[in-house]
Amino acid sequence: MKRVPGLPVAACIVAFGIGGLGLPARAQDAPAGDAANGQRVYLADGCFTCHGRVGQGGNYYGTTPMLAKTELPFEGFKQQLRDPVRVMPAYSEAVLSDKEAADIFAFVKTLPGRRPVKDVPLLNN
Amino acid sequence: MPKRRASPDVARRNFLKGASLVGAAALTPVAANAQVAAPRPNLKAAVPGPRQIAAETLPPSKDPVTQTSSGGDFMVDVLKTLDMDYCAINCASSFRGIQEAMINHGNNTKPEILTCTHEEIAVAMAHGYAKMEGKPMAMMCHGVVGLQHAAMALYNAWCDRVPVYVMIGNILEADKRAPGAEWVHSALDPAALVREFLKWDDQPASLQHFAESAVRAYKIATTPPMGPVLLSLDAELQENPIADPEGLRIPRLAKVVPPQADSGAIAELAKMLVAAESPVLVCDRLARTPAGMARLVELAETLQCAVFDNGGRMNFPSRHPLNQSASRAALNQADVILGLETNDIWAAANSFTDRIVRTSRPTTKKGAKIVTLGTRDLYLKSNYQDFARYQELDLAIAGDGEASLPALTEAVKRLIDDGRKSAYQARGKKLAGLRLAALERVRSDATAAWDASPISVPRLCMEVYNQIKDEDWSLVGTSTGNNWPRLLWDFDKAHRWNGGSGGGGIGYTLPASLGAALANKQHGRLTVSIGGDGDFNFAPGTLWTAAHHRIPMLYVVLNNRAYHQEYMYVEAMAGRRSRGVTRADIGTTLKDPNIDYATVARGFGVHGEGPISDPGELAPALKSAIAVVKSGQPALVDVVTEPR
Repeated sequence: MKRVPGLPVAACIVAFGIGGLGLPARAQDAPAGDAANGQRVYLADGCFTCHGRVGQGGNYYGTTPMLAKTELPFEGFKQQLRDPVRVMPAYSEAVLSDKEAADIFAFVKTLPGRRPVKDVPLLNN
Repeated sequence: MPKRRASPDVARRNFLKGASLVGAAALTPVAANAQVAAPRPNLKAAVPGPRQIAAETLPPSKDPVTQTSSGGDFMVDVLKTLDMDYCAINCASSFRGIQEAMINHGNNTKPEILTCTHEEIAVAMAHGYAKMEGKPMAMMCHGVVGLQHAAMALYNAWCDRVPVYVMIGNILEADKRAPGAEWVHSALDPAALVREFLKWDDQPASLQHFAESAVRAYKIATTPPMGPVLLSLDAELQENPIADPEGLRIPRLAKVVPPQADSGAIAELAKMLVAAESPVLVCDRLARTPAGMARLVELAETLQCAVFDNGGRMNFPSRHPLNQSASRAALNQADVILGLETNDIWAAANSFTDRIVRTSRPTTKKGAKIVTLGTRDLYLKSNYQDFARYQELDLAIAGDGEASLPALTEAVKRLIDDGRKSAYQARGKKLAGLRLAALERVRSDATAAWDASPISVPRLCMEVYNQIKDEDWSLVGTSTGNNWPRLLWDFDKAHRWNGGSGGGGIGYTLPASLGAALANKQHGRLTVSIGGDGDFNFAPGTLWTAAHHRIPMLYVVLNNRAYHQEYMYVEAMAGRRSRGVTRADIGTTLKDPNIDYATVARGFGVHGEGPISDPGELAPALKSAIAVVKSGQPALVDVVTEPR
């Protein structure tokens, strides 16, 4: 027997929510990150388990936000790692350095994310 | 407490009374004594034939080896009046008396025996079947060891308010139990183990008692709120000759008409709905029959109001313009919320956060009225907490939701004037726009990772849909929490979906899907299920039953190589404790070695495709598998997917 939330309305896995953080969009503050190392950490540290290996997000018991091409500023991104809203696991500095956070941020910025729906015929059924 | 016979020797005396002479039996092959029964027109207890009359008038043998009647035969006659097509079993000596009678006296029809490799499979099949066919099927198991296997699946059926007709074998009389297994397989009150999640049970002490309890059990199981019932069948009662066939009578079943809600309460509710600016209909286990969906559509279209479908049944078309289930926005903005056969109306009106300090808060608009209509309040038990958190209500109406909808819709229609009609049309137009926008948003989300390997879950779901959309398909299971089909597919008919497990007990999806597939088979539908790998491993033997009984079903394993929900929970715990999440896979994943489900399927005699990690290979594999399914056989496709 497993612990399984019962209803779609009863639980919502929300990790990196865009908006709601009340933070200014200061993209110029983002440190230069190493996207290749960011990918390694992203996969090793379990980001992919909710957000997918290419940052696509998910839809299980509600929406898990997409990280690909995130519009969050780095400070907001980092704050969500350190002190997440809702039920995302917290990543303290003891387990994820600022440098690694910057690398992950650089990695998700490189991910392609959505494409036009019209380019995917199966989604037009 | 079960009633005991007046004397411990009564049963044995009955046996001698109905037995043939040893000498006669020795001259007659056993097979010649077997009464392969043609169905009896009157379904009454057997009239004694010359053999039995002779046996009853001659001095009894002390150790007869044949008999001419059996309690099991009568039990089968009773079951035939209940119109149950199937009985799923994992064979067990404690019900050998009725099993043989089903096969030879009942000619293995109504019910036909389905061989299962685990009792949990048998119950789950009955669970899935009942929701699709609209009537129960039976299952049988050992009263002690079999029932313990069956327990989890029974709990699911209880929580899902689904009728399952359970029969168990037991040996009541201590002096009739052989040494060894028959003692450890007998119980004073075997149903005690599962009584908290049974609607009713009995342990009949005579055949007439059985007849009445068997009919009563069916009636109780199928009266909303429905639920599993159980009869404990004494082995002596099943096996021994019938002492007094003329004294037996099978009572007639009169099904209970589902109760409609009080007319005054309906009138009050109609006023509230008509006057509301943003009413929302929340439904869960509403549609009991194909009529349920049509009735809800009529009410929603009359009001031009939002519908939030929790998906406990096929309640509302997924692409209907008024379907607002893709987000909670409509709920949060509602001024009247009507819960129709909802299990947990609190969840519709509140949010809950699973953090170190667990918190909740109302999410409804200030002053919003909340009303429930359903049978949920009519039957609850205390131990298992499936009744969910208490929600303050403005009106709680007892009555079957589906049966009460026509009266509610008529009451609403009577109150709508032309002014309201035009406001409603504007409201409906706005909701239709929101529905289209939600669909486009979900479609856009699904494009991300479209070509990824492992395969994205929306890609998998849409590849499946593309292969079945022009067939008369029926999706009868999804992996835990997989909302993509409900968000992306066009569920437009009553048989397109039949709800979830109810109790969240893993191991439901594969066997319950097979039960639904069994129901769909006679209607010529293409049955599809997309189940998780974790779920699959609880009851893989289901595939053998599918192959053996030629039950066509496409089973797609959503293979993320983990109990993924649990994986994320362990990550959350590690995060709280600042320990990192790199070891959260311990105890939560199914890798090293990876399981090859296609090979497992082939081992059970089922067509298997995969494992498939390349999205480009998915369509051909699905095509091949569906060709097998359309030929009347089951098929499995193992798809290695992204976690979510």
